[in-house]
Amino acid sequence: MAEIIRARDCIVFFRGDNQPVVVSPDMVRLGWAGGQGVQWAPSTSDERMVTFSSGLYGGFLIWGSDESADQFTAMTKQQLIHQYATMLSGGCLMATTSYERYTYASRIGGGPLVPLVYVANDILYLSQRGLWTKEDEMTLSGDPLAPAFFTGFVAQIPKSVNSNFLGVQTSM
Amino acid sequence: MTFNQKFPRTRDCYVLAKGDAYTVAVSQAMATQGWQGGQGVKWDNSPLDEFIVTFSDGIYGGFILWGSNESSDQFTSMTGAQPIYGYGTFCSGGWIIATRTFEQYTYASRQAGPLVPLVYTVGQRVLFSRRGYFTNEDEWTPSGDPRAPNEYFIGNVVQAPSLDNNNYVTIQTSI
Repeated sequence: MAEIIRARDCIVFFRGDNQPVVVSPDMVRLGWAGGQGVQWAPSTSDERMVTFSSGLYGGFLIWGSDESADQFTAMTKQQLIHQYATMLSGGCLMATTSYERYTYASRIGGGPLVPLVYVANDILYLSQRGLWTKEDEMTLSGDPLAPAFFTGFVAQIPKSVNSNFLGVQTSM
Repeated sequence: MTFNQKFPRTRDCYVLAKGDAYTVAVSQAMATQGWQGGQGVKWDNSPLDEFIVTFSDGIYGGFILWGSNESSDQFTSMTGAQPIYGYGTFCSGGWIIATRTFEQYTYASRQAGPLVPLVYTVGQRVLFSRRGYFTNEDEWTPSGDPRAPNEYFIGNVVQAPSLDNNNYVTIQTSI
């Protein structure tokens, strides 16, 4: 198979639906990586606004707010300045570095970090910070909105030959 | 159809409306055993940086558009090309397809006893069988699969198989 160029946080092999959205002040302040999961947020204006997902889904943002591949181009921080992003939803096949590497319990427990091991066809959710994960963090954290929504399948596991990108078939 | 247009049904799977498609590698098992057009597949692991699929066991990734050795491909450059090069055309999303790659008989009757035909009706939800064919049965439950019940519905029946349509089932996929 042809070599896959992995110069961005999120690479799309086939695309579902997409639309530009306004990003929340939190997102503008903190920035985001490509592949970041987002959920809808209220706005006082007539606009569709998203913010970091907490396990709910709206979609994911294809481009990060300040990716290295955008430096010295017209894209440099353009999304942050103009407070917009491109959100994808529906059925996509993509690969991203925006996924949880360690279990939820080990990330919040203060102990040693325990790696998450992904296998092909694992069901995926968005984590409490909107990254792709195989754990239902809404249930693990006692969130009253639990369980988390199914958002896709693992299509390719992270490994050294794919620069540790997680391949995802989305369903959102 | 009202204007009596005849659908040529010379392939395992033909497409009336197209969704997403992507070229994927196929597993060694698929390359060895071959597959029919419309075969359901799931994701598999590969040591290489490639997207690879294998026969579905009820889980979906999508379906493969062209069979590995269809009669329509004989004496053309497609003859055996997919298994030799280890690739297939993977389809997911929303399609309308007609295929003969569906379970004709109930899971229980395929295990033992006389074969009992499955009856498909328009609007029925379908999923993949344990060998990756479209079916209207949840085969995880009768087979004792610990993942049962299989609720990975991937489409619904648009046209039931009949003599009129050469026994093809038409499905609107939602994968």
